[in-house]
Amino acid sequence: MLRWSVGLAGACALAGSITVMAKPIAFAGGYTVMAEYGAGTMEELQLFYAPRYDFSFGGGHLELDSDETTKTRSINYARLNYLLHRWNLDNAQANVFVWGGVGSATGNTFTGSVLAENAGAQADYETRRIYASFKTDWQGSSAFSHRIDTLQLGLAPYRHEYGGIATWFLVQARQYTGGIHRGTESALLLRLFKGGVWVEAGVTNGGKLQAMAMVNF
Amino acid sequence: MKFLPRVLIPLLLLASASAQAATIEMNVNGLVCAFCAQGIEKQLRKFPATADVVVSLEQKLVAVSLKDGQDISDAELRRALTNAGYTVKAIERTQTPIAELRERLKQGKP
Repeated sequence: MLRWSVGLAGACALAGSITVMAKPIAFAGGYTVMAEYGAGTMEELQLFYAPRYDFSFGGGHLELDSDETTKTRSINYARLNYLLHRWNLDNAQANVFVWGGVGSATGNTFTGSVLAENAGAQADYETRRIYASFKTDWQGSSAFSHRIDTLQLGLAPYRHEYGGIATWFLVQARQYTGGIHRGTESALLLRLFKGGVWVEAGVTNGGKLQAMAMVNF
Repeated sequence: MKFLPRVLIPLLLLASASAQAATIEMNVNGLVCAFCAQGIEKQLRKFPATADVVVSLEQKLVAVSLKDGQDISDAELRRALTNAGYTVKAIERTQTPIAELRERLKQGKP
């Protein structure tokens, strides 16, 4: 199911229908569905509902497949997201989000299912032409500890308007801990969004597909 | 004696126009992306008095047209936008039809 969703995201990207960084809270009263294919190393599917603009809850599924070893992880989790602070500026917006949750995990380096915990944070700054974000996302248990740190810097070739297509060019740098990937994985991405649909796709320095799709409704 | 009607009638007309504003225009901070606009539009359409909503990222403008004889107070509008996560800088009530405003914005005019 996850692979199908990610495949669909990639297909949309390639079809040219594709978005700035995904936020765990879209808007009050809104749902967010997000699927990411991370160069064969990570795949994630998330569904969140935000009763308020500064709070959302939901769950997700994360698969990690080490490209250093044969190590795999499969994690289902429930999560709460909180907007710690937002700065509404004249021509920009900046946010700090934090999240945390619990779940269960299986993997090929331990037996059975173990209790997993997750925690993370994201800081972003966005104008209609410039975008920067840093996200750190940790998953841990008695059997493993993995953190994924992602930095994105984006530039829009034009100022999009509501109802039109927004186009962004991004550079992404990502690091994994816990023996998932050695060194920094970088990627060049094209992000397009219109209305509540956002898709991005690109290629990593290892020549692999990096893709993400998100729908807010 | 002729002085009073000359002053009072325009004042009454002005007061009446203000009370039955066709469109409410709000200047909003933090409005930088389509998702922001989507959230704001969704909040404002919840008001039974809302006839239509226009959002311009370029002008940092959110406009609401009202149904005949109905109104939304400034306090309610500020609360709705605050609850949507944005900061209202100014609210102005005008007689500009929202279709005209939409067309003006489409042409890139403030």
